[in-house]
Amino acid sequence: MSLLVQQPLSLYIHIPWCVQKCPYCDFNSHKLKNDIPEKEYVAALIQDLDDDIKRFKLTNRKLHSIFIGGGTPSLFSGAAITDLLDQVFARFDKKEDIEVTLEANPGTVEADKFEAFAQAGVSRLSIGVQSFESDKLIKLGRIHDNEQAIRAAQLAKTCGVKSFNLDLMHGLPNQGIANALDDLKQAIALKPDHLSWYQLTIEPNTAFGSKPPKLPEDETLWDIQEQGIKLLSRAGYQQYEISAYSQPNVQSMHNLNYWRFGDYLGIGCGAHGKLTDVANNTIHRTVKVKHPKGYLEKNRAALYQVNSVTAQELPFEFMMNQLRLREAFPIERFEHTTGLPLATVETQLLLAKNKGLLHAHNNTWQVTPLGHRYLNDLLEMFL
Amino acid sequence: MKHIRNFSIIAHIDHGKSTLSDRLIQHCGGLSDREMEAQVLDNMDLEKERGITIKAQSVTLDYKAKDGEVYQLNFIDTPGHVDFSYEVSRSLASCEGALLVVDAGQGVEAQTVANCYTAIEMDLEVLPILNKIDLPQADPDRVCEEIEDIIGIDATGAVACSAKTGIGIEDVLECIVENIPAPEGEPNDHLQALIIDSWFDNYQGVVSLVRVMNGEVKKGDKMVVMSTGQTHIIDKVGIFTPKQTETGILRTGEVGFIIAGIKEIHGAPVGDTITIHKKEAAQPLAGFKKAQPQVYAGIFPISSDDYESFRDALNKLSLNDASLFFEPENSSALGFGFRIGFLGMLHMEIIQERLAREYDLDLITTAPTVNYEVETTKGEVISVDNPADLPPVNEISEIREPIVQANILVPQEHLGNVITLCIEKRGVQKDIIYHGNQVAVTYELPMAEVVMDFFDKLKSTSRGYASLDYHFIRFEASDMVRADVMINGDRVDALAMITHRSNSVARGRMLVEKLKELIHRQMFDIAIQAAIGNNVIARTTVKQLRKNVTAKCYGGDVSRKKKLLQKQKEGKKRMKQVGNVEVPQEAFLAVLKLEN
Repeated sequence: MSLLVQQPLSLYIHIPWCVQKCPYCDFNSHKLKNDIPEKEYVAALIQDLDDDIKRFKLTNRKLHSIFIGGGTPSLFSGAAITDLLDQVFARFDKKEDIEVTLEANPGTVEADKFEAFAQAGVSRLSIGVQSFESDKLIKLGRIHDNEQAIRAAQLAKTCGVKSFNLDLMHGLPNQGIANALDDLKQAIALKPDHLSWYQLTIEPNTAFGSKPPKLPEDETLWDIQEQGIKLLSRAGYQQYEISAYSQPNVQSMHNLNYWRFGDYLGIGCGAHGKLTDVANNTIHRTVKVKHPKGYLEKNRAALYQVNSVTAQELPFEFMMNQLRLREAFPIERFEHTTGLPLATVETQLLLAKNKGLLHAHNNTWQVTPLGHRYLNDLLEMFL
Repeated sequence: MKHIRNFSIIAHIDHGKSTLSDRLIQHCGGLSDREMEAQVLDNMDLEKERGITIKAQSVTLDYKAKDGEVYQLNFIDTPGHVDFSYEVSRSLASCEGALLVVDAGQGVEAQTVANCYTAIEMDLEVLPILNKIDLPQADPDRVCEEIEDIIGIDATGAVACSAKTGIGIEDVLECIVENIPAPEGEPNDHLQALIIDSWFDNYQGVVSLVRVMNGEVKKGDKMVVMSTGQTHIIDKVGIFTPKQTETGILRTGEVGFIIAGIKEIHGAPVGDTITIHKKEAAQPLAGFKKAQPQVYAGIFPISSDDYESFRDALNKLSLNDASLFFEPENSSALGFGFRIGFLGMLHMEIIQERLAREYDLDLITTAPTVNYEVETTKGEVISVDNPADLPPVNEISEIREPIVQANILVPQEHLGNVITLCIEKRGVQKDIIYHGNQVAVTYELPMAEVVMDFFDKLKSTSRGYASLDYHFIRFEASDMVRADVMINGDRVDALAMITHRSNSVARGRMLVEKLKELIHRQMFDIAIQAAIGNNVIARTTVKQLRKNVTAKCYGGDVSRKKKLLQKQKEGKKRMKQVGNVEVPQEAFLAVLKLEN
């Protein structure tokens, strides 16, 4: 008998175009050459969605959240986003207060566009500020400056969305502790509901990956993190995930669902999805065609690549997500999302507990502050 | 019998012994061109890759000489590396003559000198051959002078040849027939056959290479191994051409193989004498001294699950390598493994490689040490080949270290560097003789200093021109101490080293610094200390890793992040846990690399 239980369903929509590619970015994004084929792309997305709905029998399922990410979704017109969301909502049992996030680049912002997004149903804007220092922004390949970043945040407050997030990086090339904290203070001053404050990581297959910039020393990075968390905490931002901080009760519903190993459809170029198939006691993963050209050619058969996640991989995948969160997780969450009894990972859990990386309490498990510092070492145990 | 010629080739590595033997085989039609794989005598893959000969092999050739007669030439191959000089004397014992092959460009080398003296002492006829005569730098007159001057044999009749181009090969063969005496022996006596070498073949059991000194041996004979008295029925008798060829009989003076269904190599020990049951020879032949290991190291499986397969692998290796000595060793840091004795560092490397390559074992090797003689305060003398076995300081009255006599041949212009190196290694000069441009210098050196990296250093300090031969002469009292290494307070037995007191502080410092480079930062500070007894002589700290976490992860594709962690985990699996600390394998060999 399967332990699997149907999980909340989110929807990720990928918009693959950017004005230019940032040297640190390893997401599926492509420099925009001509006008965006908005109409065609929205049509392809809906076709993609319908295929998923049919394949996984999702008609009239309740939708937990939507995230429009990229690339730069804010390059799309208000009309295109309206069209897209209207069609998506028509296919699901829409929750009234559903969280719909859209990622915006401060360099592509106009006041009426933000209002149009809000009108279309976007309830949350996520603004990729990254830094407030001009020289850092140039180094990071960003198309906006300090003033545009501030203006975007102010617009987000007044355009009609319920909440907004600022993406901010630290550990940038040549960044000292004072610069990093100053960036953070400026972000806090804009009073976002949510801050994604994460350390720059050099990823393979990026411009930085092939020509790595000189990053601050480990000790500096550590000081930045320690003092930054204090600063955030004093301003009322609670850390609930490795790099996510929020005012009380405005955590990102969509990201929480990822981290709790919930389900999500992924539509658009290169989008990944994960679906629990209780009836067949299986968990599916989907990947869509990566390049916009191929995706738009509507070769339906090529859109899908469905892999079933094997039982062996599941514990690790669960932990890799769940243990990013500060919150304790109930044992049932492991069993319901992986279909495996907790006994499968008991040895590792106890080992981690003995090392002070995990804490067990009332049928829940929780990562300790030490476990969060050395999360990679902790996750390794589940490989 | 008067048409038999048994000979070996004495040559330095690279002086062309293998090429010359190939050419001789080809000339006598031992193999067709198609079968003529390059360097047929070097059988083991490793031998081919490293271009060296490890084990003795033989080949029987029929040569029709200019006098119209057909001669049976038995060529017994000899290893050329200093680690295997013991095997050389075995090959020589079965011969009446030896070809001294010298590179006509490079001249005489120390190893050649040593082996040549062995041959002369055994009353062998030594025939100088100048090889690589086709090369522009060939200088036969100078090299002949060197042979006469340094070795002291007449080089006027030296044959010049080029094994590579084939020039002079016939002259070499004629020279063998003319100058090497035919074997002597009594065909009608009871059998006495000397076991030159034995090796284990998966299909045939033990194959023994023998030289029949007296009498004859036939298929079906009931043989007796004289040292053990054990009897076996002989299944196969024959020669190598170089293919294994059954002849059914070996007569007095001949060299060939005997196979008698013996299951393990110790059933046919090298140097032993074979005779025939009920027609037993009165006495065994002189035989050889057993090879003594010079260097000892602990080898441990990374995973304790591999212990059994490791033991099996060693047993199998020792089927073919009687010089391999091993006994179980238990280390608190590395768990169960074996203490293994080797003939030298090359021998150790070869064994390590074979274990990894042929048996797919993941192993950690500890720093090699020599064998010390320790006199305790109670007056006992114990032999210590493992730093961990050294008694407490207050129970030691004296430590005696092995001293070798090292004979070095070096061109004058590099003499200064060589002397500097020998002094650095605590050497005492005993003799120095100038032979034209070559200088023969003799040093007494602690074996511990010689077996590690002395040979490599000698080569690099002399641009490759110096050559070395050494042998153990005595134990000598020396102010040796054991330096221990502690990682976060845990004494790591596998990292202990025995060193001369005058070097101990410097080596201790270098060792902890080296370990600091090798041990990666972990979840806590790691203190690394070196100490003699309770006296800490060096310390350093590997600072704590502040964090180890991936900044971003949002659903999507986890496979790449997973791969990264998998790689990290694989790396850790290959490490050893000392307390809480993960110590990489290389750390256990750090002692070796102190001066690099």
